[in-house]
Amino acid sequence: MTDPASHIDDLRTRFDRELAQASSEPDLRAVRDRYLSRRGGLVSGLLKMLGTAPPEERPRLGQLANRLKQDIEERLSARLAETERARPARDAVDVTLPGRTPALGHRHPLTLLRDRIEGIFTRLGFVVIEGPELEDDYHNFEALNMPADHPARDMQDTLYLASPVRSAVGTPATVLRTHTSGMQVRYMEQFPPPVRLIAPGRVYRRDNFDPTHTPMFTQVEGLVVGEHVSLADLKGTLFVFLRELFGANRQLRFRPSFFPYTEPSAEVDISCAACGGRKCAMCKHTGWIEVLGSGMVHPAVFEAVGYDPERYTGWAFGMGIERVALLKWGVEDIRLFYENDLRFLEQFPL
Amino acid sequence: VRIVHAWLAELVRVPEDVETTAHELSLRGFEVAAVETGRSAVIDFEITANRPDCLSHIGLAREASAIWGVPVRMPDLAMPSPGPAEAIDVRIEDPDLCPRYCAQIFQVRVASSPGWLVERLEAAGVRPINNIVDVTNYVMLELGQPMHAFDLDRIAGRTLVIRRARTDERLTTLDDVERPLDRDTLVIADADRAIAIGGVMGGVDSEIAQTTGLIALESACFLPSSVRRTSKRLGLKTEASMRFERGGDINAPPVGIARAAALLNRLEAGRPRGPLIDRYPVPRSPARVYLRAARIGRLLGEEVPAQDVPRILEPLGFGVAASREGADPGWMVSVPTYRVDVSREVDLIEEVGRHYGFDRLPATFPVLAAPQPPSDPRIGRDRLVRRVLTAAGFSEAMTFAFLERHAALPFCEAGFEPAAIANPLSEKYAVLRPSLLPGLIDACSHNRRRERRDIQLFETGSCFRAGGESRAAAFVWTGAAQPPHWSAPVRLVDFFDIKGVAQRLAGAFGIEVDCLSATRSYLVPGRTAELVVRRDGTAHHLGVVGQVAPAVAAARGFPAQEELYAAEIDLAAVAALEASDDLTAQSLPRFPSIVRDISIVVDEVLPAATVRGTIRSAAPATLVSIAEFDRYQGKGVPAGRVSLSLRLTFRASDRTLTDQAADEATDGIVGALRSAHGAERR
Repeated sequence: MTDPASHIDDLRTRFDRELAQASSEPDLRAVRDRYLSRRGGLVSGLLKMLGTAPPEERPRLGQLANRLKQDIEERLSARLAETERARPARDAVDVTLPGRTPALGHRHPLTLLRDRIEGIFTRLGFVVIEGPELEDDYHNFEALNMPADHPARDMQDTLYLASPVRSAVGTPATVLRTHTSGMQVRYMEQFPPPVRLIAPGRVYRRDNFDPTHTPMFTQVEGLVVGEHVSLADLKGTLFVFLRELFGANRQLRFRPSFFPYTEPSAEVDISCAACGGRKCAMCKHTGWIEVLGSGMVHPAVFEAVGYDPERYTGWAFGMGIERVALLKWGVEDIRLFYENDLRFLEQFPL
Repeated sequence: VRIVHAWLAELVRVPEDVETTAHELSLRGFEVAAVETGRSAVIDFEITANRPDCLSHIGLAREASAIWGVPVRMPDLAMPSPGPAEAIDVRIEDPDLCPRYCAQIFQVRVASSPGWLVERLEAAGVRPINNIVDVTNYVMLELGQPMHAFDLDRIAGRTLVIRRARTDERLTTLDDVERPLDRDTLVIADADRAIAIGGVMGGVDSEIAQTTGLIALESACFLPSSVRRTSKRLGLKTEASMRFERGGDINAPPVGIARAAALLNRLEAGRPRGPLIDRYPVPRSPARVYLRAARIGRLLGEEVPAQDVPRILEPLGFGVAASREGADPGWMVSVPTYRVDVSREVDLIEEVGRHYGFDRLPATFPVLAAPQPPSDPRIGRDRLVRRVLTAAGFSEAMTFAFLERHAALPFCEAGFEPAAIANPLSEKYAVLRPSLLPGLIDACSHNRRRERRDIQLFETGSCFRAGGESRAAAFVWTGAAQPPHWSAPVRLVDFFDIKGVAQRLAGAFGIEVDCLSATRSYLVPGRTAELVVRRDGTAHHLGVVGQVAPAVAAARGFPAQEELYAAEIDLAAVAALEASDDLTAQSLPRFPSIVRDISIVVDEVLPAATVRGTIRSAAPATLVSIAEFDRYQGKGVPAGRVSLSLRLTFRASDRTLTDQAADEATDGIVGALRSAHGAERR
C-alpha cells in the first residue's frame, strides 16, 4: 500500500491537470463526479482509505484530505460559476448590433460661432441687438460719417434696391445693409449712454464669389459708449474676446488703420495658425492674419445721434464670422457655408 | 502704392533693410501688401482712403521721419531761369470745382527717358512713354501731385479755360475712347472745345508727340467729389483721379511745376518759357486745431509724455506751439494742407497715438456704469426654434437672400412682385426671397445629388413679402421618417410627420395650432394645410405646412417622383401669439383617471377635427383628453365609411370618478356622435 500522504499529493496533481483540461460545463461536471461523488468518488475513496491508517497519523492525514476536498469543491464551483456567467441568457441580445439613434440635427457652424461670441460678450455685460437687413442710406452710410461721394463708400460695394422696400422697422429702405452699424445708430438714437452692445447679423456686399467672398455674409459688431471709454479699453476687451475665441496661445497685434466712422481706427491681427508666425502663404508671409477692424467712435457719429462728443467717448469693432470660421477651423472655401452639404454641416460640434 | 526703397531713401534716411522699413511703417497704419527685395527693392503699401498724401514717396518719407527722428530732404525744386515768354491765357470759370490751377510753358525736346528714370518708373509700376510724360509721372509718384502736359500748338487760341462741359460736348481721351460729357463734368478747354477731363485724363488731340516743341504743363487742384462723380460716371479710374478724389493739396500745384522744371532741366529735355501762371482765386490758410493734453490720455487710455507730442507731429509737417486755451493746456497745431484728413482734435490724437505706438497701449477693460437692457427677444426665439428643430433631427442651413425672379414667383402672394435689386451680381441673384423655402429646396437638391436620400434641413431668417422685410422659420424633410435601423423597414416621411413638427414647434412657444385645409401654388393640393391659431374668436395665420409640388421641386433640381415635405412659420406671428412669461405651475392630479375606448364608423370624409368638436361639446368637464388610436377601412366597414377608434380619458379634480359616471359620459358622447354624424358604434 502506498503512503497515504503521497497519495493525497498525487490526487491533487491529477485534479489540477484534469481541471485545466476541462473546457465545458459537462467536462466540469464529469470532473466533479469523478472526485466528489459519494459513491466511487476518488476523494470519498481517499477518506475511506484513511480508516486503515495508523491511529497516530489519522488526525494529520484527515486534515490534509479535508483540505484537498475543500479545495476541489471551491475550485470546481468557481469554474462552474464562470461557465454559468459565460452562457448566454435566455433573452440575450447581440449587444454589438447598432442601436436606435434618435435623430439630432446640427446647428450651422456660423450659428455655433455666433452663439459662442454672444456668450462671451453677454458674460462681459453686453446686450445683443438685432436690426433690419434692409436699410436706408442715412443709417447705413451718412450717420456713419460717409456722406455721398465719400471715397470710403468704395470700401463696401453696395447692393441697392430697385425701388424702396418696407424694412423690418417699417421705414422705406433703399440698400441691403453693408454692415450691422446701422443698428448701432438706431440704438443710440433710442437710448442714452452708457452703451455696451453687440450687433450680429447678415450683411450684403456686391462681391463676386470666390474662396473668401460671398455677396452675403455674417458680421458681428460691438459698441461701447461712456464717459471714460478709451482705446486701451478697446484693446483690452478685444484681446480677452479673441483669446477666448481662438485660444490663449495665439499672439495678437493691435495696429492703426482707417474707417470713416472711427478715429483713431485700429485693426487686430492674430498670429497665423498655419505657420505659427513663421510666415507662410496663408498669412501672405507676414506671420499675421487680420481678424477685425475697430476704433474710437468718430465724433461726427455721436453728433449724428445726438450724443455729446465732449462728454462721451466710445469704441466700436466689426468682424466677419465666416472669416473667424476659416481661421479657426481651416475651412478652405467660404462658399461651403452656403452650400448646406450635410456632410459639411455634420462635422461641427452640436 | 509701390514705394521704391532707394527713392524713399533719397528723401529720408531709412534703415537699409527694406523689411525693417516695411514692418515699422505697417505698424503706423500702412498695411504692406508685398515686399520685393533685390536690386530695386519695392514695398507695396495698401494706402487707406484717408491718406492721399501717402500715395507718394514724400508722404511715406514724412512718416519715416517721425519714426526714426531723421529729417526729410526735399528734392531739387529750383526753377531754371525762363527763356522768352510764350503767350497763354489761363482762366478758371468754375472755382468751386477747381480752386487752383497752375500752368507754365516749356520749350521741350521729346525723347525717351534715361535709364535711371525708366527704372524708377517701372519699379513703381508706371509704364515709361517719353521724357515729358515720364517727368510728369515722376513728380506724381514723388510728391503726390498729378500733372499733365499739353502740346501747346494743339491748344486753340492759346487759351486754357477750366469750365463745366457743355451739353453734348464730346472728348476722345488718351485711351482712345470717345466720351460723352455733361454739365457735371469739369473740363480743361481751349478756345474751341474740351481738351481734357479735369483731374481724370487728358485728350488725345493735345497729346505730346515726337514733334512737339512747346508744351503747357498743368498742375492743379480739383474738388474731390466732382472728380469722383466724373470718374464713376465714365467708369474711368486713373492715377490722377484716384489721388484727386481722395483730396489734393491746395499748395502742391506750384511745387509740382517747380519739381518738373528741375527734372526737365536735369534731363536737358526742356526749359521754361515765361513765368509760372498761378490761378488761385480764393487763397486758403492752413487749418489750426487746438489739441488738449488731457484729451489725448482720455481717448487713448494712456498718458503720452508732453515732449512726445511735438516730437511726433513736427516731422509729419504739423506746426506745433505749446499753448493754454482756457483751463486746458495743450498745443495750437497748424495742419499742413496735404493732410486733408486732419480737421479735428481727434485726428491729431490719432497721429500721436499712431506714432506713440498702439502696441504700447495697456490692455484695460471699460467701466460698467449702468446695466444694459435685455437682449432682443428675437434672439431667444431663434434659439428656441433651433433647439426644437435640431432635437427633431433637422440640421440648420443658411441660404442666400436673393434668387432668380422666375424661381421666386411661385412663392409670392398673388399679385406680389418680388423686391428687385438694382445692381445684382447676375440674374441668378436678381430679387429678394419671398420665402425661405426655395433656398431650402435647393439645399435638398444639392444633398440629393450627393447620394443623400434622408434630408432634414431648416433655416431661420429674413424674407421679403408684400408687407416688407419679415422673419420666418422653415423646414423641409425628405426620405426616411426615422433614422434607418436594421430592426424594421424604412418608413418614409409623410404629411403627419411634418405637421407634428410644426405643432411641436408652435407648442414650444405655448401656441396651440389647428390645421385647416388650404392651397398654395407651390404645395400639393389636398396635402396642404394652413396653421391657424384661434384667440379671442379670431383666427391668426401662423404658417403653412404641406408637400412640395413635384413641378416646383423638379424646377429646383429635386427628383419629382420623391416626396418632399415643407413648412414655413411666420416668426412675427409667433412673437405676437407666444405664451407670456408669467406661468403658474399646476398642481398634479390627486385622483385617478378612467379610460374608455370607443370605436365608431363614420363617413370617410368627416374630418377628425369635427369628430373631436362633437365629443368636446357633448362631454362633461371630466373629459381630460381625446386620442385617436386607430383608423381602419376594409373588411367589416362599408365602402365610403371609416372606423375610428378613440381613447377618452376622464378625471375629476375633487373626487375619484365612478365607472358608472364614465360609462354615462361615454354613452352621452356616442349618442351625440350618432345624431350629429350618423356614427355607429362597432
